[in-house]
Amino acid sequence: MAAATRKRWGMVIDQNRCIGCWTCAVGCKEMNNEPLGFWWNRVLTAAPGETTGESNSALANPASDNIDVPYGTYPNVEMAYLPVACQHCDDAPCVKVCPVGATFKQEDGSVLVDYERCIGCRYCMAACPYGIRVFNWGDPEQPVDFTVGYGKDYRVDGRLVFTPDRPRGVVEKCTLCVELIDEGTDPFCVQVCPVGARVFGDLADPNSEVAQLVDDGGTQLLPDLGTDPRIFYLPVDRERNV
Amino acid sequence: MATRVETPAPRTASFGRFGRGFLIAAGLLVLWGLSAWIYQLTQGLIVTGMRDIVSWGLYIFTFAFLVGLSAGGLIMASAAEAFGVKSLKPLARLGVLTAAACVLVAAMIIIPDLGKAQRIWEIFRYPNWSSPLVWDILIILVYFVFAVVDLTVMSKRGIARSERAKWIRILAYVGLPTAVLLHSITAWIFGLQISRPWWNTALMAPLFVTSAVLSGTALVALAALGARRFDRFGVTDETWRALAVLMATTIAIDLFLVACDYITILWGNVPRERAALDQVLPGGSWQAVFWLEWIVGGIVPFVIFVVPSLRRRGWVFGLASFLVLVGVYAFRIELVVGGMIRPLLHLPPGIALGSYRPGQSSFETVGVYHPTWVEYAIVTGVLVFLSLLIVLGYRWLRIGTRDEEIA
Repeated sequence: MAAATRKRWGMVIDQNRCIGCWTCAVGCKEMNNEPLGFWWNRVLTAAPGETTGESNSALANPASDNIDVPYGTYPNVEMAYLPVACQHCDDAPCVKVCPVGATFKQEDGSVLVDYERCIGCRYCMAACPYGIRVFNWGDPEQPVDFTVGYGKDYRVDGRLVFTPDRPRGVVEKCTLCVELIDEGTDPFCVQVCPVGARVFGDLADPNSEVAQLVDDGGTQLLPDLGTDPRIFYLPVDRERNV
Repeated sequence: MATRVETPAPRTASFGRFGRGFLIAAGLLVLWGLSAWIYQLTQGLIVTGMRDIVSWGLYIFTFAFLVGLSAGGLIMASAAEAFGVKSLKPLARLGVLTAAACVLVAAMIIIPDLGKAQRIWEIFRYPNWSSPLVWDILIILVYFVFAVVDLTVMSKRGIARSERAKWIRILAYVGLPTAVLLHSITAWIFGLQISRPWWNTALMAPLFVTSAVLSGTALVALAALGARRFDRFGVTDETWRALAVLMATTIAIDLFLVACDYITILWGNVPRERAALDQVLPGGSWQAVFWLEWIVGGIVPFVIFVVPSLRRRGWVFGLASFLVLVGVYAFRIELVVGGMIRPLLHLPPGIALGSYRPGQSSFETVGVYHPTWVEYAIVTGVLVFLSLLIVLGYRWLRIGTRDEEIA
C-alpha cells in the first residue's frame, strides 16, 4: 500500500455531547464478550478541564468514588464525562516495554495484543499511563453461558488479536474493534453512542470529519507524556454550553 | 578466631543434629512453596492479592530485593581485589557464593509472577530490544554465569596460587561493572516509566546500586556469622569493622538518595507526584514501609554499626544486619506499591479490577493490595531455598577452608 493511501485511524470524543450514559462501555463489553470485572472502556466523571490540563485530576480531587458526583463546592460545581479506553498511542509505552513483542502497533494505528504470545508479565500495565489494560487473573466469569458480540477469533497477520474465550494469564485491552474496521465499519462504541459524541475516521485524510474535528481543537489525554494518542477529545466549551 | 586449629575433614563430615533439623524444616518449607505454586498454576493469579491497579506484588518486591542481595557479595569480593581492601578478602568466596545463589533465586521468583510461565522462552525467541525487562533477563544470565565462573576459579583444586590470583584479579575488574549494570538495569525497569511519577527518577539506578551493596553486605555478614557459629568460620575484628563501615556508609547514602526524592517531590508539589508519595509517607495507607525503611531498617542499624561497643557483640551485629535487610525490603515495597497504588487518571469510578466481587463494585480509584497465603508460601519457599543453596554451597565448595589451603 502506498504511503499516501495508508490509513491513520483515529477517534474524536466530544465531551460537549457526552451524557455519561455508559452505553459505549456496556456496548464494548457486549461486543467483546468481556468477562465480569472487565471494562475495556469506562466513562469517568471528570472536572471539565481534565483534558486541557486546566484541572489536572489530582488538582481537583473527586469528592466521591462514585460516578456523577460534581467537582467543586456548591454552588460552584461543574462536571464533565471522560470516556477512556486504550488511547492507541503512536509512541505507546506498552509497546516499548513488552519483552516479547506481544503488544504491537499496527501500521494503520491500533495497538493490539497477541493472545498467543503474551507471557503475562504485566509490564505493559505498569507502563500504561491511562490504566486501560486488564489482566485475566483467573478463568473468565461470564454472566450468561453463551458467547455474545463478535463471537469468533480474529487474526491480524496470523496473530490472534481477539478471542471471545480468553485464556487465563494474558493481558488484554481495547482493539479499536479491529475486526469491524477491517470490514469497513466503525468501532462498536462509535456505533452505539446515542448522542453521536464519538467520531471515527482516517486522520490522514484532511477532509475527513475526524481530522477536521481534531483541527477544531482536539486535545489528547495526558499530552505532556508525549505518548501521542490517536484518541482526541473535544473539551467542554463553556461558550457553546451557556 | 585467627588461631584456630585446622581439622577440616571431621568438621564437614556431618551436619549434626541442628543441621539435619534445618535441612528437614527447610525442605518442607520449599515443598510447601512448591505446592502453593502448583495450586496457583491450576487456578491462575486470581489466588494472589494482585489486581489491575496494584498489578505487581510480593513476587516483584522479592525479585527486586533478591537482585539487590546478589550484589553485595560480588561487589565486595571484586572491590576487595580491585582496590586491594585486604580486610574484606577473607569473605570473597562467601560473597561470590551468595551472589550466585541470590541471582539464581531472583530469576526463579519471576516465574510464579508470570500469567503464562510456560511461554517464558519467548523472551529468547522474540526479544523486544526496547524492553528493559529483556535487558534485565540477559544481564541476570550473564551475571549468574560470571558468578559461577568466579566461584569455580576461587574454589577449584589444582590451580597454581599465582595463576589463581591473576584470574581472580581479572575477574574482579569484569565483575564490578557487571554488578553495577545488573542493578542499574533492574532499576530502569521502574525508573524509565513515564506513567509512574514515583518511579520516573534518574536517581533510581544509583538508589538500586546503593541498596544492593547495602543489603548484599548484610547478607554476607549474616552468612559469616552463621558460619562462625556452626563451622568455626574465622573472621577477624578488622573484617567486622570493614563490614560495619561499609554498611553504615551505604545506609547513609541510601537514605540520602531517598530523601532527595522526597524533597524534590514535596517542594515541587506537583499533584500527581505528591499523590503517589503521600501513600507511603507517614499518614498514608502504606506508611508502615516508611517507618521500617527509615527507623527500623535505617537509623537503628546505622547507630549499631557506628557505635563500636554495640557492633562488637556478635548477636547485635547480626540483628543490625537483619534489620538492614528489613529496611531494604521495605524500600522495595515502597517503590512498587507507591508507584502503582494511585493511578495517574484518578477519576471516579476508577479502574476495573479484573475480577468479579459479588455485591461490591468492580472499580477502585486507589488500589488495595493484601498478599494472600499463596504469595507468602511461594516467597517463603524461595527464600528458604536460597538459604539452602547458601548452606549446601558452603559445604560443597568448602568455603570454610582458608584460601591458602585450597590448592
